Amino acid sequence: MTRLLDVENLTLQFDTDEGRITAVDGVSFSLEQGEVLGLVGESGSGKSVTAKSLMKLNPGNAIYGPQTRIALHLDDGSVDIMSLRTSSELQLVRGGAISMIFQEPMASFAPAITIGKQMVEQLLIHTDMSKKQARELSIEMLARVGISDASRRFDQYAFELSGGMRQRAMIAMALSTRPRLLIADEPTTALDVTIQAQVIELMKDLVAEFGMAIIFITHDLGVIAQTADTVAVMYLGRLVERGPVREVLRSPGHPYTRGLLEALPDLEDLDRPLTPVPGDIPSPLERPSGCVFHTRCQVAIEGLCRREVPQFVDLDEHHRAACHLVARERGAA
Amino acid sequence: MLHFARFVAIRAAMAVVTLVIVSFIVFSLMELVPGDCAERYLAFKNTQGSAISVADIEAERVRLGLDKPFLTRWVIWITNAFQGDFGESCILRLNISRLLGDKFLLSLGICLTALALAYAIALPVGIISATSSSRLLNNTLRLVSYLGLALPNFLLALIIMLFATVMWGESLTGLFSKEFRDAPWSWERVADFLKHAWLPIFILGWSATAFAIQTVRALMSDEIGKLYVTAARARGVAGRRLLWRYPARHALGPIINSLGFDLNRIFNELPVVALILTLTEAGSLLIEALARSNDQQLAGAIIFLLTGSIVAVNFATDVILALTDPRVRRSILG
Ligand SMILES: Nc1ncnc2c1ncn2[C@@H]1O[C@H](COP(=O)(O)OP(=O)(O)OP(=O)(O)O)[C@@H](O)[C@H]1O
Ligand code: SF4
Ligand SMILES: [Mg+2]
Repeated sequence: MTRLLDVENLTLQFDTDEGRITAVDGVSFSLEQGEVLGLVGESGSGKSVTAKSLMKLNPGNAIYGPQTRIALHLDDGSVDIMSLRTSSELQLVRGGAISMIFQEPMASFAPAITIGKQMVEQLLIHTDMSKKQARELSIEMLARVGISDASRRFDQYAFELSGGMRQRAMIAMALSTRPRLLIADEPTTALDVTIQAQVIELMKDLVAEFGMAIIFITHDLGVIAQTADTVAVMYLGRLVERGPVREVLRSPGHPYTRGLLEALPDLEDLDRPLTPVPGDIPSPLERPSGCVFHTRCQVAIEGLCRREVPQFVDLDEHHRAACHLVARERGAA
Repeated sequence: MLHFARFVAIRAAMAVVTLVIVSFIVFSLMELVPGDCAERYLAFKNTQGSAISVADIEAERVRLGLDKPFLTRWVIWITNAFQGDFGESCILRLNISRLLGDKFLLSLGICLTALALAYAIALPVGIISATSSSRLLNNTLRLVSYLGLALPNFLLALIIMLFATVMWGESLTGLFSKEFRDAPWSWERVADFLKHAWLPIFILGWSATAFAIQTVRALMSDEIGKLYVTAARARGVAGRRLLWRYPARHALGPIINSLGFDLNRIFNELPVVALILTLTEAGSLLIEALARSNDQQLAGAIIFLLTGSIVAVNFATDVILALTDPRVRRSILG
């Protein structure tokens, strides 16, 4: 396997009227080429802002930590994403080597510009195609994602397409530049269940065909189980557990991951009570000290978890969790 | 194309229907003014010393057609109004169209120019301030637009007049110099008009600009915050291309939509400004007509013309809007 992306110590704060809030705190992870990484966590845990950091897409009030390093390894060398400044430098990670699909397929198309024009525009920015070639490729891509009558759809506006069709078009547009990494930020949440399954199936096919890596953001561990190779769990801006999807889902190490899994219905054991993670997510203005999860953790260690930030410990070769309890059990074993 | 023609025809028909309804309301209001035109004129004559009897009033009523039923009179009034004939002023006994002369067109021109100037300034300023993160720029703009919104027009007019009188000994009132007031149109007259017209345009444009900047700024900020702009940025669209093709292009519809409201507001401010600057244009004529002499015929004609202009502007913005909004365009062009 070849490394595609290294994120080290990603720290991101926002200047807001209420003060400076920390949205991401020392997150590190890496991604191999062709790997599908599922990024899970409750609302507000910092999934979207982490993903947007890879394209430097966070708004003007975002402040990246000085230790933050994001390296993208391409065939012709590595790029330090944090050092990209001008819009022509940024084009590489914005629609070039990295593409992003958003949660709301309706809202991510400009309402008064046809789908085709938006697709062609992107191709003209990132490739040296002629308008005609860009048009042909766009129609081909629309057909490839299963949109019938693609050349007619090409000239239509987003409001003329159904929800599932819009998300397919969004995927076609994101893939048309053949990115190395696709970020899908809750791409199916706005769709109904059958369409959801179709879109996920489509994405799986396309990963195989295009050989790109995907960061798949969702709250839905069920979707992760279907699609991802590895999973990373975030809580309040911190990465708390990471590992191969089967291991993490079968034998979660972190109490928060366990909590997320216990909140899921189990088809084999429908009588098992569903227990959502207790307690409320703390306000980002009052980040808990020590382990950020200690205010809601039922197995917190008195005197330790509140004071000290837990370090990652290995549960298995690639499976790691940041928890004092896990560290203790490992140490004892 | 056929669809578009049909759309325009339907909108035009709707505008005419609106005007007919408005005319009915205006006409009813004219009726509500106590006393009718015959009485008023003759009462006026009475004060001039002629002895008038009840029989004279009746004869005058018949002459003016006031003995006909309400609806008949409305139909006659509206039919003539659409042909630009508003009958005679109650008091002055002059043909209203002639009385208004160019006055109405001049004041309409002043208002439209003020509106156009307001948006000529507000569009770039509003767009820049919505996209700029410079505190200084934004605070300056905020101050200027608060001044524009908070300073009443009449005060601004008085300040400028006072200033002009002290500085140049000129009062800056009226729309024409004495020698041109009743002269036929000529290039010199046009030049003289422009020399005077800048002041009412400036005063009306002042608060209109402040309003328009706020409108444009708010609508732009709104668009900039939308996901499709982030999505376009995520595709590598940047700089001016991003700004104009995405948020600015999409804010255009609501901005065009606000033109009608703004014109309405300028019309509302016109009479007071006109009164202070002693412009003898339609706005102050309206106040004169209402306050001084209860001239319901004249007042009705002016209100009808002002409303007609607003309806016309709304009709025009509707058509432009239809051409810029793909949803509407699709439904009318097929
Ligand atoms: N532009 C911003 N300014 C200030 N705070 C922000 C901004 N963008 C995000 N945040 C904050 O950062 C935190 C993380 O937000 P983020 O959108 O990444 O959450 P998320 O995990 O994607 O949640 P969701 O599942 O709801 O999408 C939140 O507390 C959010 O309020
Ligand atoms: S570190 Fe402590 S508080 Fe945090 S998850 Fe582990 S046991 Fe719970
Ligand atoms: Mg999110």
